[in-house]
Amino acid sequence: MKNRALFLVVVSGLLGFSWSSLAQPVDQTSHLDVNQLFATTCGWCHNDGGRTAGKGPQLMNTKRSDDFIRNRIKHGKEGAMPAFGSTFSDADIDKIIQYIRALKPEQP
Amino acid sequence: MLKRQRTLALSLALASGTALAASGAMAQTIDSKRIEANNPNDWLTYHGSYNSYHYSGLTQINAKNVKNLSVAWIHIPGHSTRGLQSMPLVADGILYYTGSYSRVFAIDGATGGVMWAYTPELDDALVARQTHSPYNRGAALGEGKVFVGTVDGRLIALDMKTGKPVWDTKLIDSQKLTVGFTGAPLYANGVVIIGSQGGEWPVQGKIYGIDANSGQKKWEFNTTGDDSAKATWGNDTWRIGGGGGWMPGAFDPKTNTVWWGTSNPDPLYDWSGGDYKTKGARPGDNLYTSSVLGLDVETGKLKFYHQELPHDTWDFDAAPGEFVMLQRGGQNYVVHPNKSGFIFVYDDSAHVKNVWPIVHNYNFVKNIDPKTGELIGRRDFAAGKQDDVLCPHISGGVSWNSGSYNPKTGLYYKLGQEWCMKLEVVKTTPVTQPQVQLNIGANFTIAPPPDGPIYGHLDARDPITGAKKWEVRFPEPPMASVMSTAGNLVFVPDSRGIVHAFDASTGKELWTHNDGLGHQGGIMSYSAGGKQYVAVTSGFGGMVSDDFAPAFGGVYKSMPRDDGALVVYSLSK
Repeated sequence: MKNRALFLVVVSGLLGFSWSSLAQPVDQTSHLDVNQLFATTCGWCHNDGGRTAGKGPQLMNTKRSDDFIRNRIKHGKEGAMPAFGSTFSDADIDKIIQYIRALKPEQP
Repeated sequence: MLKRQRTLALSLALASGTALAASGAMAQTIDSKRIEANNPNDWLTYHGSYNSYHYSGLTQINAKNVKNLSVAWIHIPGHSTRGLQSMPLVADGILYYTGSYSRVFAIDGATGGVMWAYTPELDDALVARQTHSPYNRGAALGEGKVFVGTVDGRLIALDMKTGKPVWDTKLIDSQKLTVGFTGAPLYANGVVIIGSQGGEWPVQGKIYGIDANSGQKKWEFNTTGDDSAKATWGNDTWRIGGGGGWMPGAFDPKTNTVWWGTSNPDPLYDWSGGDYKTKGARPGDNLYTSSVLGLDVETGKLKFYHQELPHDTWDFDAAPGEFVMLQRGGQNYVVHPNKSGFIFVYDDSAHVKNVWPIVHNYNFVKNIDPKTGELIGRRDFAAGKQDDVLCPHISGGVSWNSGSYNPKTGLYYKLGQEWCMKLEVVKTTPVTQPQVQLNIGANFTIAPPPDGPIYGHLDARDPITGAKKWEVRFPEPPMASVMSTAGNLVFVPDSRGIVHAFDASTGKELWTHNDGLGHQGGIMSYSAGGKQYVAVTSGFGGMVSDDFAPAFGGVYKSMPRDDGALVVYSLSK
C-alpha cells in the first residue's frame, strides 16, 4: 500500500479519464500516465510502448482477455514478469488495459 | 597473531611446492594471503584471484590433449529461474556455487557428490515484483565461511563445512527500494565487500563492507551521495540517482585498496540534449555513477576514482567487468572494461593510461581520448525518436561476465558484442522519491548495426595497447565469462550452449561440447585428487538473454529460461 502511494506520487500526468464506463467498479480515480509508465518501467520488455514483442510479448492486438491481463499485471509470472499487485490499484490496472486495447501502429 | 602464523605456514607450504590436498583435514584457512598466493588448484574468488585474471595455471588439460576432454560429472541445482549465472569457486577440492534465489551448494570436486546445500528463506512477495531477479552471480570464501548476497538485501555467511548460517545481516531496505544483491561479494583482509543493484532504480546505490567474523557492517559507500558528489547532481537528484555496484570488484593487497565499478544513473536515458550540465532529468556529471572507485578496505573511504562516463545517458555503466592487475616495464596497470565496449587502462591510482574499443560498432561517442579518458563527440539526446540507431545496444558492448588475461601469452581474451537499438527518449515526470520500479526514460528495440547483422567476437588483444592478435566470430554474442589456461587454451561458453576451447596463441578451435543450454555465467578450473577439472554453469534467461529468442529465433525459441546445470569436465584418457 505504501509502495502504491509512492508510485502515485511520482508518476503524474493527469489524463482526466472517466471511469464510469468500466465494467468493474473502481474505488478511486487513477492518475497513472500509462505512456510514461511504458517509458519508465514496462518498455524494457514490451517494446515500442507495447507495440512490438521484446522480452515480453507484443501487447497491441493481444487476444488475451481483460481478466487474463489484469491477473498477469497483479501477480506477474515467475522469471518472466514482475508482479505489480502492490504497486497499482485496480483503477490503475484498468487504465493500463485500456491503453493496451487502444494501441495502434505508430505512423511512420 | 594466529592469522600471521597461519599465513606463514601457508607461505612455507607453497614455497616448498607442497600441493594442498583435497581433504578438509588438510585445509588451510582462507585469508587474503592465501587468495593472493593464488594456488592454481583453487579458484578462491569470483575473478579467480585478486588480480582478476580468470586464468588457470594448471596444465594437465592443454592444447595437445583437450580433444580428450569429456564430462566428468553434472550437478542439477533445480529451480533455476532465469538460468544459472554464477561463478563456481573451489577450495581444497570442494566446489561451491550459487543458483537462483541465492541457493548455495558445496560439492566434492572429484566426484560431484553433494556435501551440503543451503536455501535461504527469501521475501517471496518482494522477489515476485523484482525485474532483475532472482538470479545470483556467485559467492565469496573467507575465514571458514561462504558469503552470499540475496535479492532481498541481505548478506549471509555459511559455515564452509556444514552449510549452516553463521550470520545473516540485513543491509538494504529492499521492501522499500526494490533493489537487493545479485552480484558476488569479495573477501579481503577480514572484510566482505558487496555492492547493491541500483542503476535502473531511483535509489541511492551503495557498496558495503562487512566484518567477516561478526557480520557487522563496518562501512558503506554511497555511490550518489557523498558531499563532493552532491554538487554534481542538479535539483538534488542524487537522492534518487541510482548507481550501486552490482558486480564484484577486485583487491590490491599492495595498497589495501578495493577496486569497485559503479552502475549508471537513472533515468537511464536523459532528455537534456547537449546541456546536460544544467538541464534534463539529472543535471551534472552525476558522481560517482559509471565510475571505478578505489576504496580503503578497512574504512570504505574513497582514495581515488575515475568516472568513465560523466553523465552516462546510455546505460553503459562501469559495474561489470574484471580489474586485471598486471605489471609491464615497471609500471602497474589495471585494465577494466566499460559496458560500452571501451577498455580503460589505468595506473594503480586510476589515472588513465590508455582507452581502446573492443567493439566495432559504437556511436554514443565519436571516441574516447586515450590519454585523458575524455569523451569526444558524445551523443546526448533530446526527447523524441532518434534518427540513427544507438550503438551498442543497452545490453552493452561487453557482457557483465568477464574476460581473461593469460600471463604466459601476454594476451587479454575478451568478448565483444555488436548490436544496436532504435531509441525514443521520453521526457518523463521527475522522480523525487524512491520508486518501486524501474526508471528507464525511453522506449527502444534491439537493432542490427548499420553495416550488417548482429554478432559477437572473441578477441585476443594486448591488454595495454589493444593491439589485436586474432579474432573469432560468433553468430550471436556469447554472454558468459572466458577462461584462459597455462595449457595454452581459451575456453568460451557460448549462448547456444556450446563450450569452445581455442588455442590461446592462434585462435584455432580445438574442442567443442554441447551443454544443451545457453551459457551466461562462469567458467573456471581447479584440481582435486591430482586431476584437473573445468567447471561451467549453463542455463539461459534474464534481462539480456531474454532478448535472444525474439532477436535470433532458432535454438533460442525453445531454449528453457528456467533451467540450469553445472557441467564439469576432465580428461577421459
